[in-house]
Amino acid sequence: MNALKWWWGILLAFALLGVSRTFLPLPFMNEVVIFSIYAMGCNFLIGRVGYISFGQPAYLAFGAYACAFYLFYFGTNPLVGIMVGVLGGLVVSLVIGPLFVRLRSDYFAMVNLALAVIVFYLTQKVLVDITKGDNGLWFMTRITSTPGLDLTIPGQFFIFALIVALAVCAFYKYLDDSIYGACCLATKINENKLQFLGYDNFSIRLLAFVIANTTTALAGAMYAVYLGFVSPEMASPSRAADPVIVTLLGGVGTLFGPIVGAIAYTGMKDVISKLIGNWELFIGFLLVFIMLVADQGIWGTLAPLLEKLLWRRKATLPVATKR
Amino acid sequence: MSPDKRTVVIKAEGVSKRFGTVQAVDQVDYQLYENEVAGILGSNGAGKTTFFNLLTGYYLPDEGRILYQGQDVTRMTPQQRVSLGMMRSFQLTSTFDNLSVIDNLVLAFFRAHKSASLWQLLINTCRKHRKDEKILATLASFDLERVADRLVKHLGLGEKRRMEIAMEILAEPKVLLLDEPLAGLAESEIKGVLDILRQQVGKQTILIVEHKISHVQDFLQRLIVMHEGRIIAEGGYECLQNPEVRKSYWQIDDSASESASASADAGEVS
Ligand SMILES: Nc1ncnc2c1ncn2[C@@H]1O[C@H](COP(=O)(O)OP(=O)(O)O)[C@@H](O)[C@H]1O
Ligand SMILES: [Mg+2]
Repeated sequence: MNALKWWWGILLAFALLGVSRTFLPLPFMNEVVIFSIYAMGCNFLIGRVGYISFGQPAYLAFGAYACAFYLFYFGTNPLVGIMVGVLGGLVVSLVIGPLFVRLRSDYFAMVNLALAVIVFYLTQKVLVDITKGDNGLWFMTRITSTPGLDLTIPGQFFIFALIVALAVCAFYKYLDDSIYGACCLATKINENKLQFLGYDNFSIRLLAFVIANTTTALAGAMYAVYLGFVSPEMASPSRAADPVIVTLLGGVGTLFGPIVGAIAYTGMKDVISKLIGNWELFIGFLLVFIMLVADQGIWGTLAPLLEKLLWRRKATLPVATKR
Repeated sequence: MSPDKRTVVIKAEGVSKRFGTVQAVDQVDYQLYENEVAGILGSNGAGKTTFFNLLTGYYLPDEGRILYQGQDVTRMTPQQRVSLGMMRSFQLTSTFDNLSVIDNLVLAFFRAHKSASLWQLLINTCRKHRKDEKILATLASFDLERVADRLVKHLGLGEKRRMEIAMEILAEPKVLLLDEPLAGLAESEIKGVLDILRQQVGKQTILIVEHKISHVQDFLQRLIVMHEGRIIAEGGYECLQNPEVRKSYWQIDDSASESASASADAGEVS
């Protein structure tokens, strides 16, 4: 019963996103859906394993550049490009993960930020020959149409992105329900006890790291295909807090937090930047305000209220029918 | 059946542990026999917890060896010792406060009965195991049914303690090592925990650390008394009357045993 409710909830959420497309601008919707995927990885790291990372742009860039290298130098199929991007993210997190997940949470946050700085300079300065530095790699015209959903058409890309986001969301929902998900929550607050129950904290954390950052790389590859170009800006350390902000804004550790956060953040940015000059400053204040008023994030605050509303309605129903 | 003929499960050979200038455990030799209920008594700071931590692999001893069923486990990780059948509790209750009671039990049960490979963790859901008969029976016998779906952080200390012991018993270890499982509990709760432990007598080897002797009166079959990192007495309850124990543990030179247990009761857990 409960399970059914949840799966229906996911379908409903994505149906709503799909419907929003009819009255909201397409670029905004595409941005929101990709950003949701980006934030889902971050949300898993913070909410489940207790790792805050200020270096998510690095993994975004790994995915984006892996995809871009393929589409710029080798192939033309965007689907293959996205797969290459995911694979790139997977390999990188498998290599970096064992070093990083040994760290305490605060060091983890900083070492990831350092990685983002490294990746930024690598793509901007060091590897100019293959990344074209600040000019970026442009491959929009090289991407070929794909049968079924044509990713070169923004409207169809949206449907594709929506399906991918739904799959990622359902995957994380499954993880949350698995014994592994419980182990993640357990390692977050009491690794000693988990160890003395006979579980291996290291491998549990490593897997979480790999899953989260492969998701991030997937978002990066999708950005690359959607925009048709990548530049070092993607790994910019000045954007390092974005996914963390979106996660906190939406509600840490909640299923729909990343989506709600992405909508709120992208929406605020779009609306306010049109109205005010120093929009970033304004958003900063707005964020502080929202965090103070609703420290559970938007969805974290709304969800219990919604549940109470629905629950009350259900509770009154039987009484009504008895009469 | 003399104790010496029984099988030794855990054996400590001259183990020591030092923290700075404090010799917390000093050259301790100890044997735990199969299926017995043994106790470690001693006042606060006697080195009980440290000795416990050496047995379970939380600390590496400065010197000496730990044997488990004849096998040298001194350098084994806690996980490896768990696989061999040792399970411990912590002096301060140690649970997963952000999980429900039932999920805490599921985690304890799952590791003991399935493998802990990541793949197994991934393909099994908590929901499926929440209906496991053994877990439900344990919930019932520990009187935790009412709070099964509650997050552990919302439990009272007594319920938490019961749940922690439930986790250990669900994991069915060969040796159950409990560090002050009764500390901070009300009299009625202590009785509940002891009743549960009594059901395990004969099925598992149990080693309990306790500093209030009145808690475990009649329960232990054999005990040792520790003081300043060393074992100063060993045997049945009568060894508590040994002059050295009277002096260091009861802190009296000569007096009736009534006031003795009263003064021992006065001390609380650090
Ligand atoms: N991690 C530690 N670091 C420093 N000193 C410690 C540590 N653990 C215990 N000790 C010291 O070792 C001695 C024995 O402590 P402990 O084993 O906790 O005693 P008990 O459990 O019998 O109360 C005490 O003097 C205590 O201060
Ligand atoms: Mg102690």
